[in-house]
Amino acid sequence: MKILVPIKRVADPDNANKVKISGDGTEVTSEGLEWKMNPFDEWSLEAALRLTEDGKTKSRVGEVVVVSIGPKDAVATIRQGLAMGAERGILVEGEDKKLDALVVAKILQKIVEKENPDLVVLGKQTVDGDSNLVGTYLAEFLGWPVANYATSIRTSDDGKTLTIVRELDTGAATLEVKGPAVITTSDRILHPHAVKNGVTPDDFAYPESEGGRYASLKGIMAAKKKPVEETSAAALGVDAAPQVSYVSFKLPPARSGSTTFVESAAELVQKLRNEAKVL
Amino acid sequence: MIEWSEQHKQIRAMVRRFIETEIVPKREALEFGDTPPYDVLRKMLATFGIGEMNKAMFLKALEKEKRGEGTASLESSGKGGPAAADARAMQMIPIIELCRHSPGMVTALGVSIGLTAGAIMKRGTTAQKERWVPPLLTLEKVGAWAITEPGSGSDAFGSMKSTARRDGDGYVLNGSKTFITNGPYADTIVFICKLDEGNPEHERKILSFVLDKGMPGLVQSPPLRKMGLHASPTGELFLEDVRVGKDRLLGETEDQPARSSAKETFTAERTGVAAMALGIVERCLELSVDYAKNRVQFGRPIGEFQLIQLKLAKMEIARMNLQNLVFRQIELAGAGRELSLAEASAGKLYAAQAAMEVALEAVQLFGGNGYMAEYQVEQLCRDAKVLQIYGGTDEIQVSQIARSLLA
Ligand SMILES: Cc1cc2nc3c(=O)[nH]c(=O)nc-3n(C[C@H](O)[C@H](O)[C@H](O)COP(=O)(O)OP(=O)(O)OC[C@H]3O[C@@H](n4cnc5c(N)ncnc54)[C@H](O)[C@@H]3O)c2cc1C
Repeated sequence: MKILVPIKRVADPDNANKVKISGDGTEVTSEGLEWKMNPFDEWSLEAALRLTEDGKTKSRVGEVVVVSIGPKDAVATIRQGLAMGAERGILVEGEDKKLDALVVAKILQKIVEKENPDLVVLGKQTVDGDSNLVGTYLAEFLGWPVANYATSIRTSDDGKTLTIVRELDTGAATLEVKGPAVITTSDRILHPHAVKNGVTPDDFAYPESEGGRYASLKGIMAAKKKPVEETSAAALGVDAAPQVSYVSFKLPPARSGSTTFVESAAELVQKLRNEAKVL
Repeated sequence: MIEWSEQHKQIRAMVRRFIETEIVPKREALEFGDTPPYDVLRKMLATFGIGEMNKAMFLKALEKEKRGEGTASLESSGKGGPAAADARAMQMIPIIELCRHSPGMVTALGVSIGLTAGAIMKRGTTAQKERWVPPLLTLEKVGAWAITEPGSGSDAFGSMKSTARRDGDGYVLNGSKTFITNGPYADTIVFICKLDEGNPEHERKILSFVLDKGMPGLVQSPPLRKMGLHASPTGELFLEDVRVGKDRLLGETEDQPARSSAKETFTAERTGVAAMALGIVERCLELSVDYAKNRVQFGRPIGEFQLIQLKLAKMEIARMNLQNLVFRQIELAGAGRELSLAEASAGKLYAAQAAMEVALEAVQLFGGNGYMAEYQVEQLCRDAKVLQIYGGTDEIQVSQIARSLLA
């Protein structure tokens, strides 16, 4: 099975206090920010790796191609994906500012047409833009089925048929999907039994984890030698002009760091009413 | 080398993430309790494939050794090159990262792999290496290296009382050791003593033996209470008529240059201190900058006071210097060279003092909070002190440097 996993680099959410806004308020400035793989993408990559390996012996039985659209240094994020275990990388050069969900989906469509994967697995959203759109746009452009917010993926025929569980506020829905398909995943996809591929023994459990797998030192060294193809929207024939423009950004109000201990529920209510004035 | 490469940063990010999810939440148990560090360390080695990678490298070198091609160790071939530099960097990055939170863990790990396995790799016979080294490299077995005694510390060889007496084909060992890292839990112990042939003490040969936990006559004490470094158990060893065969005599000959072997171990030990100090200093600086920006007194962040700025500036200078020391070590590995004992001593002296000074200033900058266990600088400050004591005290480093200058 061949899976395409789009990954985006985002400002490290743990360093969010370093995010700054340009003087005129129309841009988030990236100077001095530390970058990391969008966590949702890291989890979808983990799901794709589980779909293409024998979890027990850790031998690879399929191919994962990671693709990132961004500036040249986004190659570091691609290398990170390769270090985790992906086979190949593609970097589509583009300026973060000049991308919106539509442009990204159009570029990905071209990549899919070139690569012919059995599946595209994406994170359900990025932690910076939070727009939740790319997966759905991409499926629409490709004319493929889409299953959003997947918490479980099962296939035993290399993605030709898939059983996907989507968890919604109202409960869980199980659906059957015919591949090739687009799947977006939620964090629950990391559950020890969330992904089954018919190769990994059914009773095999992945370790409980809050993130994708750690790259081993060997993996990190091997990543240096794995192929990364560089291309651009123009080379792919995508006329890429964003349709969304950002008018202004505002930082959230500074958090006040003080904590007050109260003795009783009554005192809490009284404080919330008289001091915080929220009741 | 002027900065970390992209690959180095990737390793750093991975190790940092592991530490933040697996070690930081256990801080209370590891740094304020008696929980030994080995399970977490084993998990770390396994997660990044470090133990297995080292083991595979070592076993390959051992096969070569059996064919008569060189001696098996984890040291690079001595030829240098970018791979050797990278290998050194990959060794140092986890040390730096671990020290940001737990210098104790680095000590426990370093003594087990660097000193204990290191000593056996350097001086052991092929059979001894095969028998003891592989499980030490993955921390399946915990190692200890014992030279210090109640009556002999800085003057390690001069006042050493532990003895080996010939007994048939083997030896009988007696003596006691103290301040031994991993002593309470060690499975494999390198025990350094003097061969007692009835001759005057200062003429006696120095021998090293490899002992296993549970041998009759060997007692390992519970961990000693100490000022800091709680994630590294430290204890005493008592040997009373421990009988060993010649197969446990390191090198299986009495004519081993054990003094110079111990000196090599000192160099290795001292070399690692720069990376340890860098971790402590980086973390103290990071916490201090954050605190200086956010703590408000007299109506403004304390970072606006020049006396606080001076502290931050000095911390940054120490960080730069230490990073340069670490980079130099990586460069030297790339050039196929090792530090001389005098240079290792100079680096260790500077690194230990810088870490101590920075950690003390961080406590000061945090005021009352700095003295409270909740704020990490309190722990780092207690931990940093040991760098000036073990691996040769500051005073001993000074005399080592001076001796090489005046020679
Ligand atoms: C946490 C910890 C872990 C340790 N782990 C190990 C271990 O795994 N294995 C092991 O064998 N040892 C270990 N040690 C022991 C350590 O190496 C010794 O404590 C150290 O070498 C100092 O020896 P000492 O304690 O006997 O002090 P002493 O040698 O008695 O020194 C006392 C003071 O006198 C000074 N002094 C001594 N000689 C001179 C001189 N010639 N000139 C000027 N000043 C001098 C010293 O610098 C020091 O200030 C450990 C120690 C600690 C604290």
